[in-house]
Amino acid sequence: MTTEPVPILELHGITVNYGGIRAIENIDLVVNTGEVVTLIGANGAGKSTTLRAISRLVNPLSGKIIYAGKDITRARTDEVVKWGIAQSPEGRRVLARQSVLDNLRLGAYTRSDRAEIERDLQQQFALFPRLAERRHQQAGTLSGGEQQMLAIARAVMSRPRLLLLDEPSLGLAPLIVIEIFSIIRNLHAAGVTILLVEQNARLALQNADRGYVLEAGAITFSGPADQLLGDERVKQAYLG
Amino acid sequence: MTDFFNTYGNLMVLMVFNAMLGLSLYLPLMAGQLSLASPGFYALGGYIGAVFSTKVFQSSDGAFPVSYVLLEMLVGGLASGVLAIVVGIPALRLRGIYLALATIAFVEILRVLSLNLTITGGAIGIFGIPQPFNRPLKYLYIAGPLLLFSMFFMYRLERIRAGRALTAIREDELAAGAMGINPTYYKVLAFTLGAILAGMVGALSAHFLNTWNARQGTFDASITYLTFALIGGSRTFVGPVVGAMLLTALPELLRFLGGIDQLPQSVRDLFLNGRLIIFGLLIVLGTIFFPQGIITPRLWERRRRTKAVRPAESNL
Repeated sequence: MTTEPVPILELHGITVNYGGIRAIENIDLVVNTGEVVTLIGANGAGKSTTLRAISRLVNPLSGKIIYAGKDITRARTDEVVKWGIAQSPEGRRVLARQSVLDNLRLGAYTRSDRAEIERDLQQQFALFPRLAERRHQQAGTLSGGEQQMLAIARAVMSRPRLLLLDEPSLGLAPLIVIEIFSIIRNLHAAGVTILLVEQNARLALQNADRGYVLEAGAITFSGPADQLLGDERVKQAYLG
Repeated sequence: MTDFFNTYGNLMVLMVFNAMLGLSLYLPLMAGQLSLASPGFYALGGYIGAVFSTKVFQSSDGAFPVSYVLLEMLVGGLASGVLAIVVGIPALRLRGIYLALATIAFVEILRVLSLNLTITGGAIGIFGIPQPFNRPLKYLYIAGPLLLFSMFFMYRLERIRAGRALTAIREDELAAGAMGINPTYYKVLAFTLGAILAGMVGALSAHFLNTWNARQGTFDASITYLTFALIGGSRTFVGPVVGAMLLTALPELLRFLGGIDQLPQSVRDLFLNGRLIIFGLLIVLGTIFFPQGIITPRLWERRRRTKAVRPAESNL
């Protein structure tokens, strides 16, 4: 017995230009509720651009973005956060001068249910004991892995229906990367829908339901993650 | 004591005025926006006060009613606020030095306008602005509470959600957006609040100075207000207030030092006539030794932390 997948996010023919240069062209992509979908590809293939189009940090030239049945192609970034799309941006972007606690509180900026925010805060600390220890420390003094955890926890604080993770393994030690991915699995198990952009194709596919391969701004392969893991062409190009 | 207040009454009022003008520049700075537009709004408020009190309100004999002054400040503040929204929405799309340049242009445009309009009295300006008080010191009755109120307002602002949004934008605009903060809204809000304050001070200042012309609100003033925040500190609202008061009182202090007979003549001359040299020297030394300004939040954070730590240490 299979349940019909419910799409939470649909990209239809998204094209983005930076100046005169085409970054991504005619991207079609679907994320269903409850899924972990990964977008893999080489440096400069347009992975981050795709994510930025969804979080409304860049304007698509053409195409349509549908989120939860609503056209968000021309919405503002702060609006889509309010509607439930949170992102952990590339390079983490934690507020270095503010404490871990303040960073997390700012993550819940769009919410006004104080008691629930406190509860979620405690939950994050339970999930990330290292952040709990360092809650009064300035975020800039954390290690790279801890900053990445903070960036994810901060995004989760907005209680997203869809979580966008941009290169969460970037620049981290292998052991920390494994830790980050176990956190992603936990979030998935807790019912968060995730769109994951990664250069580390193998790890990403191992932890995803479905995957898309982006090459020079266009999607070349897509399908169930285990199928992509077994695909000869994907293997040759990305899995080494 | 009365002697002291008579001599320094002017100075004390100026210190309070400048503290508020420092705050007006600090407000957009809270969101990381270097705007030098405050003198423009200050000038606008001043012209509103000057025009109202000389052309609109017919001054009867005796003192000018204080209620009219308050009304002018209200109008000056509102007009500045409306202009700030109109100017701020396009201008605040610019970042960093480009925003600073645009706001300098804004101040210049207002200045040239006031030089050429009939209502502002052209190059001569407006003089004979009626006095609500018989002594300059009494301006503190209005300026003092206004400064206290704006300081209380800033104290609250730095602690509520809006204040946290402003600091988040200052640190990383993209990250702030990713957390659902609308940067444009908060930048325009801070810019407008600063403009309202400058406009109100301007209207009051027109009475205080008795005359108002295009020399009020120039590029020089932009830089002066900026030094208030630079020297005082730009991480908490206390910084620009302290910076403004110190720097406003500095010329008087130098005059006093220049009057000490025991000092060599050359040093006394420097104190008396080299005010701008000393000013510049202070800015250079200040940025080297106090890159964050004299007043930083760390001053009281450190004390709080040592207090919090001590009981735990005593258990060891």
